[in-house]
Amino acid sequence: MDRRAFLSALGTGWLVQTAGEHPPRIAGQVVGASHAAGHLLRGGAPVVSSAVVRAVVQEKADVVIVGGGVSGLSAAWRLAPAGLDVAVLELEPRPGGTSTWGEEGAVPHPWGAHYLAAPNVEARAALRLLQEMGAVTGWDAAGRPVFDPRRLCHAPQERLFYDGEWHQGLVPTDALSIAERDEMARFLDIEEALTVRRGADGRPAFQIPLDMSSRDPDLLALDRLSMEAWLDREGFRTPFLRWYVRYAMLDDFGGAPEDVSAWAGLHYFAARKLRTPELEGSHFLVWPEGNGRLVKALIERARPRIMLGSLAMAVHDLPQGGVAVDYLDVARHEVRRIEARAAVLATPAFVTRRLFPAAAPMLPVRTSSPWLVANLHVEDRFEPNLPWDSILYEAEGLGYVDAAHQLTDLAATTVPASALRAPRRQTVLTYYRAFGGADTTAARSMLLGSAWEGLADGVLRDLAPAHPHLREVLGRMDLMLWGHAMPRPRPGFLGERPFETTCALGPRIAWAHVDQPGMALFEEAQARGVRAAELLAGDMGVVLGESWL
Amino acid sequence: MSASEASVPPPNEAPEVPEAPGQDAVAGPPRRAARAALLASVFVIATSGLIYELITGTLASYVLGDSVAQFSFVIGLYLFAMGIGSYLSQYLESKLLERFVEIELGVALVGGLSAPLLFKVYTASGAFRVLLYGLVLLIGMLVGLEIPLLIRLLKFSLDLKQLVARVLTLDYIGALVASLLFPSLLLPRLGIHQTGLFFGLLNAFVALGSTFLFPITRADRFRLRALCALTVLVLGAAFAMVTQFVERAEAIYFGAPVVHSAQSPYQRMVLTQSPRTTRLFLNGNLQFSSDDEYRYHEVLVHPAVAALGRDPRRVLILGGGDGLAARELLRYPSVEQVTLVDLDAVVTDAFRTLPIATRLNQGALTDRRVTVRNEDAYKFLEGCTESFDLAIVDFPDPGNYAVGKLYTDAFYQLLRERLGVRGVVVVQATSPQYARESFWTIVTTMEAAGFMTAPLHVYVPSFGEWGFVLAGGEGLAAPGGLRIEASTLRYLDSAGLPELFRFPRDIGRVAAPINRLNDQKLVAIYTREWSVWTR
Repeated sequence: MDRRAFLSALGTGWLVQTAGEHPPRIAGQVVGASHAAGHLLRGGAPVVSSAVVRAVVQEKADVVIVGGGVSGLSAAWRLAPAGLDVAVLELEPRPGGTSTWGEEGAVPHPWGAHYLAAPNVEARAALRLLQEMGAVTGWDAAGRPVFDPRRLCHAPQERLFYDGEWHQGLVPTDALSIAERDEMARFLDIEEALTVRRGADGRPAFQIPLDMSSRDPDLLALDRLSMEAWLDREGFRTPFLRWYVRYAMLDDFGGAPEDVSAWAGLHYFAARKLRTPELEGSHFLVWPEGNGRLVKALIERARPRIMLGSLAMAVHDLPQGGVAVDYLDVARHEVRRIEARAAVLATPAFVTRRLFPAAAPMLPVRTSSPWLVANLHVEDRFEPNLPWDSILYEAEGLGYVDAAHQLTDLAATTVPASALRAPRRQTVLTYYRAFGGADTTAARSMLLGSAWEGLADGVLRDLAPAHPHLREVLGRMDLMLWGHAMPRPRPGFLGERPFETTCALGPRIAWAHVDQPGMALFEEAQARGVRAAELLAGDMGVVLGESWL
Repeated sequence: MSASEASVPPPNEAPEVPEAPGQDAVAGPPRRAARAALLASVFVIATSGLIYELITGTLASYVLGDSVAQFSFVIGLYLFAMGIGSYLSQYLESKLLERFVEIELGVALVGGLSAPLLFKVYTASGAFRVLLYGLVLLIGMLVGLEIPLLIRLLKFSLDLKQLVARVLTLDYIGALVASLLFPSLLLPRLGIHQTGLFFGLLNAFVALGSTFLFPITRADRFRLRALCALTVLVLGAAFAMVTQFVERAEAIYFGAPVVHSAQSPYQRMVLTQSPRTTRLFLNGNLQFSSDDEYRYHEVLVHPAVAALGRDPRRVLILGGGDGLAARELLRYPSVEQVTLVDLDAVVTDAFRTLPIATRLNQGALTDRRVTVRNEDAYKFLEGCTESFDLAIVDFPDPGNYAVGKLYTDAFYQLLRERLGVRGVVVVQATSPQYARESFWTIVTTMEAAGFMTAPLHVYVPSFGEWGFVLAGGEGLAAPGGLRIEASTLRYLDSAGLPELFRFPRDIGRVAAPINRLNDQKLVAIYTREWSVWTR
C-alpha cells in the first residue's frame, strides 16, 4: 500500500469530509496579439488622417525589415556580418512573431512555437544558427550534426490521457484494440517508406527545405487530395489512427485533416531524415521558452534596431532609388516614415498586399488558422516523472507542455516550505488550441469576440477530465489570441508552379514569410529571411560571401 | 460576577461575595473524594492539553516543514485560545459540574481525533492549515474553560490561597510530564495517532468518573454517562483501527520507531531508531542502516582513493547528504577541501544537527574542510569551473526521471570535465544482483561518456549485493592496495581488495544500453528489475 492509499484508508469510516469546496479565483488576462492595432491596416486612409502625420523623414537605415518574426530576424541575422544599420518594425511588445515567449512567473514559457525538430542536414541556415548557439556541438563522420544532449527533449516526453488514465507516450499501445494497433503499425510502415522514398527526379519525396522536395507528378498529385481523403483511400478507419492524424495536422498546421493537403500531411510524417542513436529518444530541440530561445539567439547575433509598437502601413519604392516605409508609432499615435536602401517585408501575404499593393498579383492567397494559447502558472506538489507534453485524447485542445521540463536544475522551480505552506514546485504549462475547421473567419471572430473569463473557463473545462482540480493549483492564466497564427496548407496549396515562389517584389523590396511555401516551419521561415537578405545584398552591392542556404 | 475568580484578588478588592446557593449546581462543599478527583482531573487536563498541542505541532512540522515556525505558531495560538476559554468561562453560570463533564468530553473527542483528522485532510491539501489552526484554537479554548471552572468548583472546599497553589502546581506539573513523555516515550513507542487517542480516552474516563463522584441530578447523570459511553466507543474504535493501520504501515514498514521525519520538496526523510540500529529512509527506501553502512561507505570511498594513486586533496561529493562518505574521506589527512553537493537541505540539515546523525557521520558535515551546497548536482556541474582529484557520486537509485538525469551520458560528460586527466570518480550504481541490467547500463553509459571503468561490488546485509563503478581516464586500473591503514577501517583490507573487482557469473556483465537524457532507458530497466523483488 502506498502512502496516499494508506492515508486515505486511514480517513475512511469515521472521519468527516473536508468542508465544502469553493473554487478559488484565478488571475489572468488576454495579453495579445495586437488585433485592434493590426486591424487599423484594414482602415487605411482614415487611420492616417486621424494620426499626426509627420511629413518630414523621421529616420534612416540601410535596411528596414517589416515584421520581427523569425523570417525578419533571420534576414537581419544574415545581414549582420556586413555591419549594416538594420531597423526592424514590429507591432507587438516583444519580437518573435508566433515564436514569441513570456518571461513572467517562475520559468520562461512559449507563447507560440515551442520546439524545433532536429533539422535535416539540408536545412543549413537552421543548423548554422544552432551551432552558433551551442545546441549543435559538432558533426559526426557522416556529416550529420551532433546535438547538445541537454537540448533534446528529456525523458519522459509525452503522455496521453486515454480512457480515464494517463499512458506514457502518444500511443497507448496496451489500451488499443488489435485492429487499432495493426493500423498504427501499417501507418508507421508507410511513414517509414515515404521518409526514404525518392521521386522520379531523384529528389526525396518530402524534404525540408520544402523546395528541395521531388517534383514527381505522382507525388505532387497528393496535393489535390485532403489528408482525410487520403486516409479513406488507404483504408485507415480505426478511431485511434484517425484521431492521431487529426492531432498531428492540428498541431502542425492548425487545420483538421479534411482541410489539409495530403501532400502537406504526409510531409509532416516523412520529411525528417536525420537518424542517429542520439536522436532515438527524441529529436525535438526544446527550451523552456520554446522557439523564443531561437528568436533570442537571432537577436543576440544580429543586434538590429528593433522598433517595437510600430505598425507598418505602406511601403514606397522611391523614384530616386531606395524605399520608404510609413508606419504608425502606436504609443505616440503618429505616422512616421523611415527611409532605407532596401526593405524586407517579413509579413504574411494578406498584410504584404496592403503594404505594397503593386506586388499583390505576385502573392499567393493563404488561409490562416486561428489559435488560442494559454499559459497556466501552477504551483503543485513535486512529481519527478512528469513528461514534457501532456495530451488529452479527443479533447478540444492539443494539451499542454511543461516549460520547466527541460531545466536541469530541480531547485530552480521549487518553492521552499515556509511557515504557512508546504513545499511545492512552480511551473508554467502552455496550453494550445487550434481552430481547425474550414470556416476560419467565423472561428476568428468568435475567438477575438470572447472575453478572458469565457476562454479561460473553456481551457479549464477542456483539461478537466484529466485535471478536475486544476483551479486549486492555478495561480494565473494568461491568454494569447492568434487571429492569424500560421498558413494552413489546404489541398492545392502548392499551386500551379510548386516551390517557385516570389521573393523579389521590386528592385529593392523582398518578401520573406512562411506564406511563400505555405507551411509554417522554423527552417522555412529562416531560409526565407536569409534568401531575402542575400537577394537584397546583391542589389545593394553589399558582399555577404557564400550563401548560407 | 467578579473577574477575579481565576486569579488571586488584588489586595484592595473587597472579599468575594459567596455566590447564592443554586446558582452553581453544587449545593455544599464536595466530598473529599470528589475534591481529590477534581484535582486529579486538573492534572489529566493539563497533561492531555499539552499533548494535543505537541501532536498538532509535530504534524504541522511534518507536513508543512519548518518546525521552529510551526511549533511557535501552535504554542502561541494554543495559549491564546486558552485565554479566550478562560475569559468565556465567566459566562458559564449554572450547572457547572455538568458543563465540566461536557467540556471534558469535547476535549476528549477533538483532541483525541485531531491527529487522524489532520492526516486525513493532509491528502486533501488546501484545507490542512485551516483545520490545523482551527483544532488548536478549539482545543485551547476548551482546556482554557476547564481550569477556571475547576477552581470555581473547588472554591468551597479549599481557601483561595491553597486552591490556586494546588491547581496551578498540578497544571504545571502536568505540562512537564507531557513534554517529557511525548518525545521520549509516547511518540516513538505509541505513535502520534495512538498518543492522541489514548489521551482522548483518558479525558473521557475522567468525565465518566466525574458522573459518579459529583452530585448531579439523575436525568443529567443518565444523559452524561450515555455521552461518555459514546465518546469512549468512538475513541476506542478509532484507536483499534488506527493501531492496525499504523502498525501495518509504519512500524512494519520501517521496522522500528520513527525518531525524526521531515518532508522536503523532493522527498520524505525518515530516521528510525531501534535499540541497536539507526536507519535512514528516503521516500520509504532504505538509504543506510547503522549496522552495516560501513561496508557500503568504505567500499565507496577507499578503493577510489587507492585508484587515484596519489594523495587526494580536492574532492567532490555529489549526493551523500548523510555525510557518511565524507566521514570516510576525512580519514585522509591530505584532504584539503570537500565540496558536498546535495539538493536536499532537509537531509543535510538533519545530518549536521541531529545528535543521532552526527554520532554516525562523526560530525563530518561541520568539519571545516567540508562545504555543503544545497543545489541540483546537474546545475552545479554546469556552472562549476573548479577541478577535483576525486568525485564520489552517491545519489539515490535511478527510480524516477528526476534522479535518472544524474545517471545519463550527458551528466557523466560534465563530470569528466571537472576531473583532471588523472582524476577518478566512483558512482553508487544500485545492486548488480537485483538490478543486474541497471548496474551494467550505468557502466555502459559511463564508458560512452569517455570513462575507463572498473566496476566493483560488496555484500551489504541490509541491501544485498551492492555495486559501484570506479572510473577515470586512460590507464585507470583496479588498485592493488589501500592508501589507508586497514586497522582504521572495519571491513576493507588490502588483501580483500581484488575480490571486490571480481564479478561472479550471476552478476557478471550483460549487454546494456546507454542511458541518455532524451531516452532514459535506465529508469524503465531499474523499475522493471526491482519490481520483481519488491512484489
